[in-house]
Amino acid sequence: MNGDDLRFQRRPDRAALVIALILAGLGGVLLFDAARLADVGGGYSGVGPASAPRVVGIGLVLLAIWTAVEAVLGKFPARPRQDPVPLFWIVGGLAFQLVTLKIAGFSIATGVMFAFTARAFGKRNLAFSIPVGIAASFLVWLVFAQLLMLSLPAGPLEHLFFPGVK
Amino acid sequence: MRNFALGALMLGAMALPAAADYTIMAPANPGGGWDQTARTMQEVMQAEGISPTVQVVNVPGAGGTIGLAQFASQNAGNPDALIVGGYVMVGAILTNASPVTLADVTPIARLTGEYEAIVVPASSPIQTIEDLVAALKADPGAVSWGGGSAGGTDHIAVGLIAKAAGVDPTKINYIAFSGGGEALAAILGAQVTAGVSSLGEFQAQVEAGTLRLLAVSSAERIPGVEAPTLKEAGLDVVLQNWRMVAAAPGLSDEQKAKVSADIEKLVKSKGWQDQLAQKGWADTYLSGPEFDAQLQADIAATAAVLKDIGLVK
Amino acid sequence: MSSFDFLMQGLGAALDPMLLLYALIGVTLGTMVGVLPGIGPALTVALLLPVTYGLDPAGSLIMFAGIYYGGMYGGSTTSILLNTPGESASIVTALEGNKMARRGRGGPALATAAIGSFVAGLIATLLLAFLAPHVVKLALVFGPRDYFALMVLAFVTVSAAFGDSTLRGLTSLFVGLALACIGIDQLTGQARLAWGVPDLLDGIEVTTLAVAMFAVGEALAIAGNHAGTDDEVIAVKGSVWMNRSDWKRSWVPWLRGTFIGFPIGSMPAGGADIASFLSYSTERKLAKSPGKEEFGHGAIEGVAGPEAANNAAAAGTLVPLLTLGLPTTATAAIMLAGFQQFGLQPGPLLFATNPGLVWSLIASLLIANLMLLVLNLPLIGLWVKLLSIPRPWLYAGILMFATLGTIGANPSAFELGLLLVFGIMGYAMRLFGYPIAPVVVGLILGPMAEQQLRRALSISQGDWTTLFQSGVSATLLALSAIALLLPLVLRAIGRGKALSQFGGDED
Repeated sequence: MNGDDLRFQRRPDRAALVIALILAGLGGVLLFDAARLADVGGGYSGVGPASAPRVVGIGLVLLAIWTAVEAVLGKFPARPRQDPVPLFWIVGGLAFQLVTLKIAGFSIATGVMFAFTARAFGKRNLAFSIPVGIAASFLVWLVFAQLLMLSLPAGPLEHLFFPGVK
Repeated sequence: MRNFALGALMLGAMALPAAADYTIMAPANPGGGWDQTARTMQEVMQAEGISPTVQVVNVPGAGGTIGLAQFASQNAGNPDALIVGGYVMVGAILTNASPVTLADVTPIARLTGEYEAIVVPASSPIQTIEDLVAALKADPGAVSWGGGSAGGTDHIAVGLIAKAAGVDPTKINYIAFSGGGEALAAILGAQVTAGVSSLGEFQAQVEAGTLRLLAVSSAERIPGVEAPTLKEAGLDVVLQNWRMVAAAPGLSDEQKAKVSADIEKLVKSKGWQDQLAQKGWADTYLSGPEFDAQLQADIAATAAVLKDIGLVK
Repeated sequence: MSSFDFLMQGLGAALDPMLLLYALIGVTLGTMVGVLPGIGPALTVALLLPVTYGLDPAGSLIMFAGIYYGGMYGGSTTSILLNTPGESASIVTALEGNKMARRGRGGPALATAAIGSFVAGLIATLLLAFLAPHVVKLALVFGPRDYFALMVLAFVTVSAAFGDSTLRGLTSLFVGLALACIGIDQLTGQARLAWGVPDLLDGIEVTTLAVAMFAVGEALAIAGNHAGTDDEVIAVKGSVWMNRSDWKRSWVPWLRGTFIGFPIGSMPAGGADIASFLSYSTERKLAKSPGKEEFGHGAIEGVAGPEAANNAAAAGTLVPLLTLGLPTTATAAIMLAGFQQFGLQPGPLLFATNPGLVWSLIASLLIANLMLLVLNLPLIGLWVKLLSIPRPWLYAGILMFATLGTIGANPSAFELGLLLVFGIMGYAMRLFGYPIAPVVVGLILGPMAEQQLRRALSISQGDWTTLFQSGVSATLLALSAIALLLPLVLRAIGRGKALSQFGGDED
């Protein structure tokens, strides 16, 4: 939180207005889904499956209004300045792991994610960190999948050492 | 394997373990009936040498339909993949309108089964199943039934009882609890009028005299159980909560025969029989065309009941 | 023989060196797996149960008890050091514990968690041994309406303790409640907010949400804040051990946590997470200086109480299990399967028909509890060193284990996708000053409150006055009303002056 943010305090906070919109949208989604279930009764309780989403939906809409008011009044706390590049590395690493897990197996997919995360925190040499990540992941895979029988997907690397493992 | 795990940890050494053979999917969280079935299979298959290494994978969710869908799509033609399932899955496929059904896998055999039991707390004025039916007929709303999740075996049993007694099944006051434990506590605490669950869940309480067993859902009296069947009480209801094992879709006849032979070896083994006795599961092994026919009959009957209760449109 | 003689006999038998070794192995294995974020005690016990099969009954029982306690304790280590709760009961531990670790007091935080767990485990196990048949009678009095009232109390007290802005705290809570609506409605079997996606039918997994918002969100927030200099983690400042003041501030919360956790754990629909929430808000309300000011910035009371409550609740779940054969949690259900291999059929007659096994189980639990302390106290120095790992490797490792836990618990791309989405959400929420914990609290408590209310109303056939007709629920609802209104009344009377003395949230 640095000093020059103070200058913006009286202005409507655009990001906070976006939050208000998101909250209102979320509330709307709940109310929409509740409307679909409105004809399902709650049996003898009188409270059906639509009631809870409806209450939460209305709550979210009210909170959206409150958020919008605070946003206009500029009451939101100042935000620390963000560096987007590391964020992309981490999100990219996790996405890579997600997509390749089944094909490449646990060690390779997780190893790359490991290296990308390290990259986000300043370890730029991927030629070093990817092998390190894969080796570490393989070790983890050995301990948890082979010793403790946790089911972790295997890929080419795992098959190289343990032919026949699924 | 376990000795290996221990040995390796104690020595701090790491050796190469043998390749895994069967992988059994339990389409539920650890702890439930399917998970216990899968893990018991794992233990016995390893101990009896049917398969050197067996892995259990839990894919929980939606009455097993999530696991079933994943199993069917990822294992086509894989002769080493097995999935545990059961009667609850039949109901869940219908209530969730699941796109993947048991027709998309290769059912191998029914393994175990449990009958449903109707109980009331010992303090209840209701003495017999006839009393309960009379109360239900007088005011269906005043009779609250505690049992497992909506659309599950317990719910279906209550629907069938109401229907057999000539009461509108949509009028039953069924209170779904998460898991048998919570339902049992509500029944013991007399929070609900009556309880429905598999017999094993209640047996210890019945023996201790804290619950009164009114009836069981078997076709004939169960040896050692002092309660009439629903049929004897004039309610035409027979219901078994069974568990089965299925293989992947797209297997050749030889592959299917090999899996069936392995399962038969498992079921006939002493280790399996000991486990069943220990866990109080009845051996209801049924395989081949008989099992396929029984499965079809169960699916048709369940679809009809769920429509009557109003859970499936 | 009296209960005491049985216990002494059991303890005597368990002091065999071979059995102690088994206990140590069990505790080590349990801690290793339990440490993984996303893998709770249930999965830990399920995974490791086969390890105990090869041993004789005494050995296998004691190793099993070790695994159980190890799995329970493992979660708190990652919560404190890495702000990554492994399961729902360690979420509040992360709140204060991680703040302590950031200030270089990770050692005392881990120590108070370990000793608190030990104290709670010891007292609760003894309570289990001597009072179980009586406690269970009380627990059965709780019906759906009483549970609903308990949830209301948990909501009121917990939400009052989170965050410095009412708006943002409430918003977080409602986001959690909204997520809680996703999935099949348990009472009618209707799918809500699932949009035909089968993976959503069972709702959002609490551990996935917690791991994503805490671990992934935290990693993103720190990486994004790269340029900034704040939040520098100091591995150790001062002693790794608890000092005099730490002891003085911990022992009362340990005891309070134990006496909150044990009864709530023994209720069939209670649970360790609710116990830890209630203990946290109690400690926050009762804290005296300097703890009062430190709450929200790393108060040792906020670690000591919930950790004790969480462990006492775990011992509490054994009450319905051993006296009624009622597995009330997934962990208990697996333990039931574990007991069955020893020919032990839990049920109302167990204490009468099989006293030998019951007492050796209780003795095993006591020994395993002690082993856990023996293993973990010396390790604290080592655990704290984790924080001196350079950040790139530390966070890469955290994400590796966070995804490992998620993959191991449910190997699906969808679950990993949720992990990523909620991670980004957790990051955005941190950025805008929204507290994280209420989201998870909403996801845990929301469905329980809704279901219990609807069950209660179904039993009463739609009569809302049923909620006030039971003594238990009327008392709990009255307490909730006081907890909600008292700060407002005080504010009106004392114009804010009195409020600060009660440690309420001022915004």
